[in-house]
Amino acid sequence: MFSKKHPELIIEDATDNLTEDLPGAIAEVLDTAEGVNSPTLASRTPRKPSIISEGFEFVGTITSEGTLNIAGVVKGSITAKSVLIDVEGRVEGELTTDMLMVKGVVVGDVKCQELNVGPRAFMDGTVAYQNIHIQRGGRVAGKFTKN
Amino acid sequence: MAESNQQGCLFVGEGVVLKGNFIVPDIASISGTIEGELSAKQVIVEASGTIRGKVTGESIDVRGEVVEYLNSTNSLIIRSTGKVTGSIHYAEIEIEKGGHIFGDLHTASHSNS
Repeated sequence: MFSKKHPELIIEDATDNLTEDLPGAIAEVLDTAEGVNSPTLASRTPRKPSIISEGFEFVGTITSEGTLNIAGVVKGSITAKSVLIDVEGRVEGELTTDMLMVKGVVVGDVKCQELNVGPRAFMDGTVAYQNIHIQRGGRVAGKFTKN
Repeated sequence: MAESNQQGCLFVGEGVVLKGNFIVPDIASISGTIEGELSAKQVIVEASGTIRGKVTGESIDVRGEVVEYLNSTNSLIIRSTGKVTGSIHYAEIEIEKGGHIFGDLHTASHSNS
């Protein structure tokens, strides 16, 4: 479906998608995608969250030192300080973060410190966590291990 | 947790160790240790309680520790002091902050989004 082994290639594809396939969608991911190569990224921590809006699909690698709000679909790998997956949001692939709040769907490998699963969320895959909180109604499946 | 009607209930006090297979028609409240299989309508593992083996129940409330296998046909609640290790099957789950699960989780899902 997607390759985790060639993130550079996927980024290019994804950038094409942004400009050509989905011109109407709002995406602030571009600045974070550019930031991958920027050496100053670690020194400045963006305060505004990067948003993948509803109806927007991103294929590739996202790296952010800040917050990421996902209401659309992300296929690939995500590394961010804090990730919120909204009710309509869906993530397939790898996800590495400190704070993870899931209200939507996550399928894949998740590594996080703080995991919060909302009442209508669904998670499947390998999950490594430090602290977990699952609200009633949240559904989780797969392998759970402690970091 | 001791209600006025204790018919069909099992209470295991702190320090008590039970080994074997137990079928409880109503509530099983465990403050001690059970090694083996426990099947009850409602299972409550208190903070000092430990179950090593197989636990099956409609609703299971864990404040203590469950190791190996757990199957809840209705609701599974892991409280902040609770810890569940092993193979976990559930229909509905809730984990309070501080609670832990290690192992494989399986949903007995009737609805899948």
